[in-house]
Amino acid sequence: MFEGKYYNGHTSKGIPAHITLEPDGILIAHDTGEEQGTVFWQLENIHQSEFNDAITLLRYGHFPQQSISVVDKRFQEALQRQYRGATFLKSNYKAVLNLGCTGLALLGTLMLSLFVAFGIWGVPALADRAALFFPRDYERQLGEQLYQQMLQGYEMDAEKSAALKDYLEELDTQLDYPITVAVVTDDEVNAFAIPGGFVVVHAGILDKMERHEELAALMGHELAHVRNRHSLRAITRSLSYYMLASLLFGDVSGVAAVIVDNASALRNLEYSRSLEQEADEEGLALLRQNQLNPQGMVWLLERLQSGDSSEMLAFLSTHPNTDERIQTIEQKIGEGQQVHQPNPQLEQLWQQLKN
Amino acid sequence: MTTTLQKTEKQTTVFSFTGKGSELFAIEIVNFALTLVTLGLYYPWAKAKTLQYLYRKTEMAGTPFVFHGTGKEMFIGFIKGIGVMVLLYTFLFLAGMADAVFVQVLFFFIFLVGFLVLVPVALHGMMKYRTSRTSWRGIHMGYRGELSDMVSKYLMGFILSVVTLGIYGPWFVVSLRKEMLDNVRFGNVRLRYVGEGSDLLLLHVKGYFLSIFTLGIYLFWYMKDLLNFYINNIVVVQEDGTYSRLQCHVTGWDYLKLAVGNLFIVVFTLGLAIPWATTRTMSLLLHKTVMSGHFDADALVQTEEAYDSATYESMTDMMDIGVI
Repeated sequence: MFEGKYYNGHTSKGIPAHITLEPDGILIAHDTGEEQGTVFWQLENIHQSEFNDAITLLRYGHFPQQSISVVDKRFQEALQRQYRGATFLKSNYKAVLNLGCTGLALLGTLMLSLFVAFGIWGVPALADRAALFFPRDYERQLGEQLYQQMLQGYEMDAEKSAALKDYLEELDTQLDYPITVAVVTDDEVNAFAIPGGFVVVHAGILDKMERHEELAALMGHELAHVRNRHSLRAITRSLSYYMLASLLFGDVSGVAAVIVDNASALRNLEYSRSLEQEADEEGLALLRQNQLNPQGMVWLLERLQSGDSSEMLAFLSTHPNTDERIQTIEQKIGEGQQVHQPNPQLEQLWQQLKN
Repeated sequence: MTTTLQKTEKQTTVFSFTGKGSELFAIEIVNFALTLVTLGLYYPWAKAKTLQYLYRKTEMAGTPFVFHGTGKEMFIGFIKGIGVMVLLYTFLFLAGMADAVFVQVLFFFIFLVGFLVLVPVALHGMMKYRTSRTSWRGIHMGYRGELSDMVSKYLMGFILSVVTLGIYGPWFVVSLRKEMLDNVRFGNVRLRYVGEGSDLLLLHVKGYFLSIFTLGIYLFWYMKDLLNFYINNIVVVQEDGTYSRLQCHVTGWDYLKLAVGNLFIVVFTLGLAIPWATTRTMSLLLHKTVMSGHFDADALVQTEEAYDSATYESMTDMMDIGVI
């Protein structure tokens, strides 16, 4: 028998009570000094009771709940002995609570490493998955709007755009995306791909080029971004990181920032190094497929690297690590055989584009 | 006659916090693991568990509070909250995508207004939910505020603050607190908030300039003043008109030790020790707060009816509105 306080759910007055643990429930005999009464609590209606300390608090029944509080360590032990396995004594957290300092520290370190691993590998993988499920029609629609928006700030060179289109059609791209290309009159050495198959090339980059293989390499690179949905993947990645962060810190304003940033300034989107490399490699594959000189990819990269630094800035800032990329590509070229032959048709279209 | 005299004598009701950093850590680590494994879906259950722990370790007059909220209830609120947010951000996204300026402005306007209305709706929902799920000695709290009052007060205060370039801000904050706290019932006892906007403005002006003059050191005393302003103006009124006041005795020095200590604890453990920072904060706050006056801990009478609806708890959470 234990001494405790009984609260009847109607007033906050703690009524002194004798508490007896019966096999099928708890018997509470309360006595205010003027009034006496007893209540019997059936085990199945006692609420789950976690985190008890010096005080053991038990609650019972529907609203307004009755409760008892007992300041006696032995009460908790007696409950555990008497009602082992009862629902109201279950706690999923108890095992961890009883781990002790070393256990907790170990568990904490483990969790932290798991979390970091999840951030490094799990999030990109999941985000890529999500990007692949994005419907193609909608991607095209979204791209179209972005494309129109971006072109607003520029003057489109219709002749060169047509010539570039012809050039692209002559190339064997093996792409089932409808591709829209545009050349804009601008000195910036830049080109970018927009989701859904839109490629914008600044005239500045065409002027720099000396061989058409460079153009083919550039197209191969940008088309790889399109084919592999790199922008979409980059967006879903940064979005998932923001979502993870907002979950941790309880704030979603970051999510809005990403959406807005990416919707308005997609061209400044920084692809990750791996996505950039993937695009380089596919660009190289395109050259090979068309039996063009694979060096075109290297020429393109060198051209970008050797140029006037202020002009280069735009392209380089979105496409970092040019040195490393050249090395990687040269290695790849070394591996394969160097079968290439002149392609008069492409040459001719290239000349049209240059003039 | 002596008994009545004794009844009206001033009483001091104490608070305490018995939670331990290690215990909270154990809870949070399980929460964290499960939230990660379920890609965030466990979050509401995690939140409920943490609140259950923190409430259970918060004692008034030697008896702990109980949080009755469940993960399932909060999950529903969480889903609804996410739904509303997605909808609002869709408008923002559409605004960014639209060609016509008119459509852009329209969608952006919808987004802004939606967000603006969402805040008071979420505040109202949170007060309703939190109070109804809080009990002490079996007596539940409750909230009698009307949603329309909250929304109109909020919008009015927001507009006035913008029009007056922020000068109305302190009155806005105080009117929101009044709306929230004046509608709280604790059995047959009710709360009143008696702070004044002008006092808050003075606090801000004083805190701002002194913080600049002292190169930021006064900031801790400024924060302490704000804390005291929020807590010490809460009055607990009993049915017979007698009342008690909350009194927070946190000093600037206490606040400095707490803030700097928490900063180190969190930074040097890469955030692992956040639970210790939480328990330190709770502990300081509750041990330094008392209620003095005629509050009779034995005289509360249940006045709430059975409760329902869990919509907005996690929405406020998502928007990071720090209340109480």
